[in-house]
Formats: sequence, C-alpha cells, structure tokens
Amino acid sequence: MSTTARKAGFGSVLWDYLTTVDHKKIAILYLIGGFFFFILGGLEAMLIRIQLIVPDNDFLSAQFYNEVLTMHGTTMIFLAAMPLLFALMNIAVPLQIGARDVAFPFVNSLGFWLFFFGGVMLNVSWFVTGAPDAGWTSYAPLSIFSEGHGVDFYSIGLQIAGFGTLMAGINFIVTIVNMRAPGMTYMRMPLFTWTTLIASVLILFAFPALTVGLFQLTFDRLFGANFFNPELGGNAIIWEHLFWIFGHPEVYILILPAFGVFSEVIPTFAKKRLFGYSSMVFATVLIAFFGFMVWAHHMFTVGLGPIANSIFAVATMAIAVPTGIKIFNWLFTLWGGSIRLTSPMVFALGFIPTFTIGGMTGVMLASAAADYQYHDSYFVVAHFHYVIVGGTVLGIFAGLIYWWPKMFGTLLNEKLNHWFFWLFFIGFHLTFFFQHFLGLMGMPRRYWVFGEGQGLDTFNFISTIGAFLMAVGTIVFVYNMVMTQVKGKKVSGDPWDARTLEWAIPSPPPFYNFKQLPLVRGLDPLWIEKTEGNGKMQPAEPLGDIHMPNNSFVPFVMSLGLFIAGFGVMFQGSYWFLAAIGFGLFFGSMIYRSFKDDLGYHIHKEDLEDEKGDGSNG
Amino acid sequence: MHMHKLEKVWLIIGVITLIAFLTTVGIQAFASGHAPPSDLTKVDPEKVDETPPFNEPGLKKVGENEYELVMVLQSFGFTPNKVEIPHGSTVKFIVTSKDVVHGFEIAGTRVNMMVTPGHVNSMTYTFEEKGEYLILCNEYCGIGHHMMSAELEVK
Repeated sequence: MSTTARKAGFGSVLWDYLTTVDHKKIAILYLIGGFFFFILGGLEAMLIRIQLIVPDNDFLSAQFYNEVLTMHGTTMIFLAAMPLLFALMNIAVPLQIGARDVAFPFVNSLGFWLFFFGGVMLNVSWFVTGAPDAGWTSYAPLSIFSEGHGVDFYSIGLQIAGFGTLMAGINFIVTIVNMRAPGMTYMRMPLFTWTTLIASVLILFAFPALTVGLFQLTFDRLFGANFFNPELGGNAIIWEHLFWIFGHPEVYILILPAFGVFSEVIPTFAKKRLFGYSSMVFATVLIAFFGFMVWAHHMFTVGLGPIANSIFAVATMAIAVPTGIKIFNWLFTLWGGSIRLTSPMVFALGFIPTFTIGGMTGVMLASAAADYQYHDSYFVVAHFHYVIVGGTVLGIFAGLIYWWPKMFGTLLNEKLNHWFFWLFFIGFHLTFFFQHFLGLMGMPRRYWVFGEGQGLDTFNFISTIGAFLMAVGTIVFVYNMVMTQVKGKKVSGDPWDARTLEWAIPSPPPFYNFKQLPLVRGLDPLWIEKTEGNGKMQPAEPLGDIHMPNNSFVPFVMSLGLFIAGFGVMFQGSYWFLAAIGFGLFFGSMIYRSFKDDLGYHIHKEDLEDEKGDGSNG
Repeated sequence: MHMHKLEKVWLIIGVITLIAFLTTVGIQAFASGHAPPSDLTKVDPEKVDETPPFNEPGLKKVGENEYELVMVLQSFGFTPNKVEIPHGSTVKFIVTSKDVVHGFEIAGTRVNMMVTPGHVNSMTYTFEEKGEYLILCNEYCGIGHHMMSAELEVK
C-alpha cells in the first residue's frame, strides 16, 4: 500500500480510508469487508455441517440451526460474494478501460458504506432478539409470522445494503459507457469489463424488485400492512414472484463477472487471444436477457399450470446454450496455447469441469417434469453450490490472486496458493458431490436433523469432512494474504506478462492511474504494443493537468444515518428518537452535499513531470 | 468487426443447438401432455375447516380404482397423517395449508407440490408398487419443519 510506504500514522491511514473516493482504495475496502463476511458465512456453514455430521445430532438447537442456515445464505450472497466481486470490479474496470477513476467517485464510496452498514445491521441481530430464521428466501407468510426482530433485521439490513449495490451498478454502467480511453471501442473492451457492464445492467433492473419486496415485507411486519398475509386478503405467492424476479438475475450478477475473470486469466496464461471474443460478448448479453425470463423455475411446484411451467422450462434450458458456448470458447483458447500453470490458471482449470457439472444439474432441474423429484431436496443444494462456489467463488479467488499485485504491489506466495486450491477444491467436491445423492435419496433441505437408519449417514459424514478441508484451505489463504503483506516484497507493474491495459502502469498504480490517457489500438492493447510496438502504451494526449475529486466523509455519515434510523423504525415506541437522529443525519448530509461546491482539485503538469518514471509498468 | 472463420462456424453450431433445444422441449411440453401440479382455485385459509372438500379430509372413492385424497397441512403436521391406498389405484391429491407455505412430497415418486395458504394445489399419481411411502414437508416452515411427515401405505 502506498500509504504505508509513506509511514503514515494509523490514525491518518484510517481517516484516509474512511473518506476515500479513490476506486483502488474502495476496492481494498470491499475486499476487507467482503472477506470478513465470507469468513463469517463460512463459520455458519461449518456449524451447519457439524450439526449434520451424525443423525439425530443436538449440537445446535432447532431454532439456532434455522437462524444459522438463514444467515449463511444471506451472508454469502449479499455480504460476501457481491462485495468481493465489487472489489475486483473496482480495482480492474477503470484501469482496463484506461480511465482515471469511476464516473461518480462519491457514489462509489457511498455504495461501499451502505453495503458495510447494511451487513453490520444484519449481524447485530445475533445479539438482539435473535437472527432472522425464515430462510434466505424469507417466503411469506412464514416471514410475516416469525417472532422477534430477526426478519426485521433481514428486511431493513438488506434494504440498506441493496441501495449500495444499486448505486455501484449504476456507477459502473456510466463509467464503462462514458469513460473509455481513446480507441477503446465496445468490441475492444476486455471481457471482464463487458461482464461487469452486463452484470451492472442486471443489477439496475433486478434490484428494484427486491427493494419493493423488502419494503412490503417491512410494512407487513412493522406497520400492519397485509401484502402477504392470506388471512387478511393478502397473497403470499406475490413475495415468491418478487423475490425470484430479483433472485434469478442475481445469480447471473454473481456468475457473469466470474466468467469475465476467467476470460482474462485463461488468455493470459495460455498466451493466446481469447477464442471467439465476439461470441463471448453475445453469449454474455444473451444469458443476461434470458436471465429475466426464468424466475418461475424456482416455483414449478407452486401450481402455476402446465403452460407457465413449460415456458419457464424452455427459457431456462435455453440459457444452457450460450453458457455452453462460453465453456467451449475457454477450451478452444486453451487448445494449442503455451500454458503456464500459475495459481489463477489452476483455479480456472478447476472451474471448467466443476461449473459444467453444476450446469448439467441445472438443465436437469430446469426440466419441469423431472423437477418434482428434486424440488427442495439436497439435489438443489448441491446444484447451486456447484454453480456459486464452483463458478463465482473460484472466480473470485482466481481474480483476487491475479489482480493482487495491482491492488497491493506484492505477489501472493504461489506455493501456498496451490495448497489453498487443492484443499479447497477437494474439500468442495467431497462436501457437495455427495449431496446430489442425498437429494435423490429423498433428504429435504433445511432439516435440523435427519433420522438414523435411512442410509443418509455416510454421505452426510463425508460432506462434513469436505467442509473441514475447505475451512483449512481458507485458513491457508488468509495466512498467505497476511504474510505477503507483512513481507511486502514489491513486484513490477506486469508480473504475469499480461495483455490488458491495467498492466501497462505501475503496481500499485499512482492515485491518478494514467499520467497520459493511453491510445488503444485493438483488443488486448498492451499485448499489441508488446508484439508490434515497443511494449509501452502510446499516449493519446499531451501531458497536462489532471482533475481529481476531493475526499469526503459524507458517504460514511449518510450510511451511518440510515443504520441508526433502521433501529428506530424497528423498535418504534420510545426508540423513535433514533429514527429522528438517523434520518436527520442522512438528509442533513444530502443537503450539505447539495449546497457545497466541491469542485475537486488539479494535479499540475509540473508536478507530474517531477514524478519519477514515465507512468509505464517498468 | 472481424470474425475468424472458425468463430463463425462455432456461432452457427451454437444457434442450431439453440433451435434444436427449443423445438425438443416445446414438443415435450405441449404435444406430450405434461401435467404438473395445478389447481388454480383459492380458499380462505381461516375457513379451511368449513370449506368443502376440506371439511372432510381423508380418502374418498370416486370411481373404479380412482380415489381422491383431501389433506390439510398445518405447522407441523398433515391431516390425516396415516392413509391406506389399494394397490394399482389412481389417486388425486387435493391439498391446502392453514398457515404458512408447506411442501407435499412423497419420497420416491414424482409427487411434489408447494402448498400455499389461500391456494389449493392438486396432482394425480398412480401407485403401481406396494409398500410404505413417506409424505414429507419439504418447504421450510419453521422450528418443527424436520418432524412434519405422514405415512402412506399401498397394499
């Protein structure tokens, strides 16, 4: 980190991070926040697996088990996977398109702090009346009848975190559309940028459905509305529709950026142009488009009728085609390449078969007629862990290792990375492969205990052993991250001999990224300069003043305001004053921000000339 | 936008697969008469016990080897919770829930329905094999979810 190099005090580093609007520092914040919740969700997963290690276990109470399984799902999706993807997007996308920052640096910071406070809010529930216990899907009317404040924490916490996600999505759309360097046409954008753009569009259209659903849930629970209570004329099925209209695009929001990561990693380490670049782009767009038409495949057994079920089954299966195109494109990229088995590449190679298995079980589940045998069994649990862990999580780790030098200027220990991969990968397959069979044998999901003598013992035991291997792997990785930063051995700006723009500048990049905006001459711009030019990007503009935004503490205060207000709204009565304080802070900050002329500052040309180096990766 | 010849071939293969896929599934869905659980009728969840057919839950004979089984689900049990069905008969299951969303799964068969309060769901199945079947709730419904089951015997 450049800040530690200047030997700044802890207080000033902390203040710097609390107020930063720099996309590279926000990426680090997302990484720390996301990884913290990843560990938390992992611990919850371990509790679930320990509970299910033997039949009729009473390691956890039934109520606590329900809270743990709800929080495991909610935490992993909303507070771990998405922020970790945002960490990768923040570090890579502005650099890949040759921009100096995202379009709205202030909103970027606000997005992070909203996510952070939303996540903290959700987890405060452990200490106040108990965590949410209605499943991560919170099907009404169970979520309406759930006692205590658990589900209130769910609805308000996710609402706050969801605002953050929406803002991040809008920010990336505007950044990618408006801020590409000269020559960076759409069809020259790296695939990770493409998938970020498409995932952001999905966020823009999918999250409002969740926002609406959560508002209705909040009003049902706290203010006596009856949207979902059938006894008073509400309709419980509407929640399922709203949740899955959001929830299904959400899984593509998770997987598309991971596809993007592998589309960066595989060409780099196969030393070949990505096979079928244009078909990759179209496949991504097609997956996103179909992703909005398939939500009811989560509801095949609700009784929507044969026509609705068939249409949703057809649409779901159609998604397998563009996804299959992508899988074969990666294989063709590998074919004949000079492959280097670095750890990001090993993750990519592990991803391909794992994700394909998840895709196959996906087509099985999509077939409505066959789904009646799998619905709500462990088969479904195995399927979505194969796609989310085997796709998104492996992608996040590949991307994290790959872009780690860009974030911190250091390189993670390759040997430990390989240890991490094998422990995690073997553990993963042990845990989830056998859950397919558990499901086919009839074990329903979300069961606190299972009975003895039903043939479920062995597979559940193996599954728990696998979970421990994954935990050990993760510990190795955390150790690796800490030790790498303690040693702090710096590497060059292009340690992987890579192809895209972010590797054309030093690691970590200067806070203004590019001294002069680069001229992009084609796909894989740095590789073109390496093979046809002098290995350095040609500037597209003369050296001049650079306009930079000022740091701001307002995003933190705004998010803190909503966090405090959430408690007031939840507990009501004599706690209404908290809502007054919270909303006061929130709207006060907005007014302050609106009336303050914050024009940023300029880095002057003379200061840029004084800096060492020419801004290239050397 | 320049496309390599192999890329073009590959895209054409992809599109053909897509069309083949859609046609196959379309024929399966519409021409082969696939019948998922579906009833589309509604019921007031507060008045389940007074509304026919749920005022008399249980097995009813409606024809030669044809039965109707009316069941009411409630946290955390089925009414009735023990049923005997003659071998080889066709049973139409008619179910509803009094409180939250439950599941109705007969392990080892394709009978699997979501049971939503306020809605009726139904499905038909022919029991060709004798034996004891387990009816499970597979839709997470709260603290006693894992205990919610009923027995069905085919003799």
